[in-house]
Amino acid sequence: KHRQHMRKFKNKGKDAAALRMQRVEVSIELRKAKKDEQILKRRNISLDVKEGSLSPGQDRPDEVIQLSLEEIAEAVNGNNPKLQLLATRVARRLLSKQKDPPINQIIELGIIPRMVEFLSGADNAALQFEAAWALTNIASGTSEHTRAVVEGGAIPALISLLSSPHMHISEQSVWALGNIAGDGPVYRDALINCDAIPSLLALVSPVTPVGFLRNITWTLSNLCRNKNPYPPLDAVEKILPVLVCLIQHEDKDIIIDSCWAVSYLTDGSNDRIQLVVDTGVLPRLVELMASTHLMVMTPALRAIGNVVTGTDQQTQAAIDAGVLAVLPRLLRHTKPTIQKEAAWTLSNIAAGPCQQIQQLITCGLLPPLVELLDKGDFKAQKEGVWVVANFTTGGTVDQVVELVRSGVLKPLLNLLSAKDSKTILIILDTLSNLFVAAEKLGETEKLCLLVEELDGLEKIEDLQNHENNMVYRAALNIIEKYFSGEENSDLEPQTGQDGLYDFSVEKQDFNF
Amino acid sequence: LLSLQRVLLLVASDVDALCACKILQALFQCDHVQYTLVPVSGWQELETAFLEHKDQFKYFVLINCGANVDLLEILQPEEDTFFFVCDSHRPINVVNVYNDTQIKLLVKQDDDLDVPAYDDIFRDEEEEEEDSENESDGSEPSDKRRRFEEDVIERTMKRRQRREWEARRREILFDYEQYEYHGTSSAMVMFDLAWIMSKDLNDMLWWAIVGLTDQWVQDKITQMKYVTDIGILQRHVSRHNHRNEDEENSLSIDCTRIAFEYDLRLALYQHWSLYESLCNTSYTSARFKLWSVQGQKRLQEFLADMGLPLKQVKQKFNSMDMTLKENLREMIEESANKFGMKDLRVQTFSIHFGFKNKFSASDIVYATTSLMENTEKEGPETTNFIRALDSLSRGNLDKLHQGLELAKKQLCAIQQTVASCICTNLVISQGPFLYCCLMEGTPDVRLFSKPASLCLLSKNLLKSFVCSTKNKRCKLLPLVMAAPMDVEQGTVIMVGIPPETESSDKKNFFGRAFEKAADSTNSRTLHNHFDMSIIELKTEDRSKFLDALISLLS
Repeated sequence: KHRQHMRKFKNKGKDAAALRMQRVEVSIELRKAKKDEQILKRRNISLDVKEGSLSPGQDRPDEVIQLSLEEIAEAVNGNNPKLQLLATRVARRLLSKQKDPPINQIIELGIIPRMVEFLSGADNAALQFEAAWALTNIASGTSEHTRAVVEGGAIPALISLLSSPHMHISEQSVWALGNIAGDGPVYRDALINCDAIPSLLALVSPVTPVGFLRNITWTLSNLCRNKNPYPPLDAVEKILPVLVCLIQHEDKDIIIDSCWAVSYLTDGSNDRIQLVVDTGVLPRLVELMASTHLMVMTPALRAIGNVVTGTDQQTQAAIDAGVLAVLPRLLRHTKPTIQKEAAWTLSNIAAGPCQQIQQLITCGLLPPLVELLDKGDFKAQKEGVWVVANFTTGGTVDQVVELVRSGVLKPLLNLLSAKDSKTILIILDTLSNLFVAAEKLGETEKLCLLVEELDGLEKIEDLQNHENNMVYRAALNIIEKYFSGEENSDLEPQTGQDGLYDFSVEKQDFNF
Repeated sequence: LLSLQRVLLLVASDVDALCACKILQALFQCDHVQYTLVPVSGWQELETAFLEHKDQFKYFVLINCGANVDLLEILQPEEDTFFFVCDSHRPINVVNVYNDTQIKLLVKQDDDLDVPAYDDIFRDEEEEEEDSENESDGSEPSDKRRRFEEDVIERTMKRRQRREWEARRREILFDYEQYEYHGTSSAMVMFDLAWIMSKDLNDMLWWAIVGLTDQWVQDKITQMKYVTDIGILQRHVSRHNHRNEDEENSLSIDCTRIAFEYDLRLALYQHWSLYESLCNTSYTSARFKLWSVQGQKRLQEFLADMGLPLKQVKQKFNSMDMTLKENLREMIEESANKFGMKDLRVQTFSIHFGFKNKFSASDIVYATTSLMENTEKEGPETTNFIRALDSLSRGNLDKLHQGLELAKKQLCAIQQTVASCICTNLVISQGPFLYCCLMEGTPDVRLFSKPASLCLLSKNLLKSFVCSTKNKRCKLLPLVMAAPMDVEQGTVIMVGIPPETESSDKKNFFGRAFEKAADSTNSRTLHNHFDMSIIELKTEDRSKFLDALISLLS
């Protein structure tokens, strides 16, 4: 189901749009792969430590309680409240071990339904808390582990615990629910259908401690997360106002998680983007994009990047929020991922109407773009190529002249040596666009000379030997159209007094 | 290769380096590359030379120096400075190996470097940041989280992992850097380069042969490696000298011919008398135990066994009866076998200049080494280097002969010193190693203030000691040797060499050990030599340094 990608191309441009679609898919897949890797990494942490015994006494020499798994099961299933508490606590400790928590063994004991029962025992708060913690940690495992908790009937019980008078218990339930929601869209929607959202939101108040707020924000972000399907619109509408409050918080972790939540919500159809735009959160997102913390900057940039894939009005809202003032710095960022995302964002702004292209020029985005094309990370350069491609498709002739004046040709032509044929094709396409503009101005010969002077002709000629047929044809097309043999004699470079070509970019004489 | 920029050539003072340098000079001449040659005898000179020239040069070629330290660290070059390093010293510093912008290593492809994997010794900055700032890389938050007993555990875990990684890294680097040894001769590497460029000439081939022979004479490589490399060179020799063989009679005055030989390993015998060579070659003198009366007797018996008249044996080899010389090699070999010297003949090469002059590769090595370490002070510091370098050109026979004379003196001095050390029990077992210290006032002690001469002496002494001692444990020990270096400054030169065993891998652990011993005692040492197992040391600090070395290696 790729409908959601389609809208990312506001360009009606033929092949280019199709190419762009594939590109977005790839990058999404990469993000997912990276995420999975991240999770694996986290799990690895617990695998590395030396073998620990299942007895908790070993971890804490001062505690004498030693129960076997069978004894735990027996006590949990028995009727002695003291033993129930003791056994649940021992189980919880085992599950909280850094290394190799015995999640599978505990599940196999079949005590989850019993622990869920404990959640409802309002007269025994200690037992409620231990059970909630144990279930949290079981649900933190694989999907299968999470399923064991859900099928044990934990969802309604945990949701009612949200309104427990004991804050540490409701906080633990928030955490457990977050793990369940994080498993994927099915359990996420199961929570939403059990009406978890109002109780969760009710916990957010000016007096809620920061630590608790962090947990709530993270759980909310998991409720916004995942596609296929997206979370229901009415759920999003409920969460958004609170999320917009949370994102104003000064705590970094709260900002990070709420930012990610907004980025999930903007990663959808235009009506979903509209919900976010309507909250007026865009200026705050742009402000966070300028943060010095990579962890804050990344989701904020992602969110804004998503917004500008929307309609022209939505893009305009991002521009009005000041995104163009922040992008130059991000295009020059040392992290390749930031460069790449920033260039991706810019490419979608450049795909807008010429008024937006004009704002892009006015805000001084061309110099950083040229720098990025010249010496940025390769993936970012590819995005940069898209900026130029979209620019030359939608820009006026004057704007295209401005683009050439900024020195874009040199790095662009250099990138013709890239290994990636898609990138080469887009560049050749862009060159054709430039020649069309030059023709309109009657300056074809000057552009030819400029391309030749920058060793571009040589590169284009080489591309006629390219293995990719489309590349070969595009290159041939340009050569035949603009560099055919008999005209060459008229195109001898005329040298100026100082020996420089008098149409050179540096001297700003290039005026098509 | 190096465009039209002027190149600075920094060349260490060993014969292999000189030979590599000769080959490179010839190549430069071919390609009209301009260069400046600066001899460097140690790290200090290398640094000074670099500082002096770094503004005029962007390209530096280092021959037999530079590979085994972090060049960028010690020289702090600008980013547009490039180093081409052709150096047989191993192990190669890992930073040099993995820097592919400023440092270009010239090594033979089939040389096994055993360099640790990149990921085991370097961490990319990204990971670094992630570790120190707890995943501040801006990736998406995890979708599930477990609550730990204490949340701080996670942080400590990361630190722990990091510590473990660092410990492992230290271990890997320790294993990698523990032993010093030598890779393929730089002259051979350089010749390979010439060959690949189809610019190899017979002269260059000869220099490659001398370079390899230097490694063998200096005992830097294993017998196996020597034989392998001889085989490689032999193929080149037959390729280059094929035509001459057809018309052997047409040798003219200026004709050069290289030939493979299965020759006697008797030092300089073709320019000496057979008798003197037998007495001053460590292989024979150690096995006869010539320092003792019985040893002298054994030598007489040996000569008698061959049936050579003493008068013939003691006169110049050149003047010996042609009839005797005809089957000389076979005769000597046969008798040597009876006396337990099973490998008196070795695979080597010789060169003919015209009719008259014939030299074996080891002759050249001895002569050039002696010229390089000539202790008779004449002119500026670089005089010896230039003379030694010149002696390698075939137009400079007089220099070569001068070198041969010096070499004979040197070999005699070595044999006399070995004999006196053994007769006066100067070689002492210190437990983990043998130790011998030459005192000021010992005859010829000046000669041994130079590294290559001291190393030759040490190796000969150890060979002889192993033959003389009855203590089986001592036969397996390495040797540390010290000799006065600069009397005014009160310094000694000290060298450590690996044990003298037949299967020796020629790997030397003294470099690291010297460093540690010096660190732990604050001894005033100077690790200036390109071989880490050769150091300079203040005479007063010698005993505490030795004590530390003993406890370190025990």
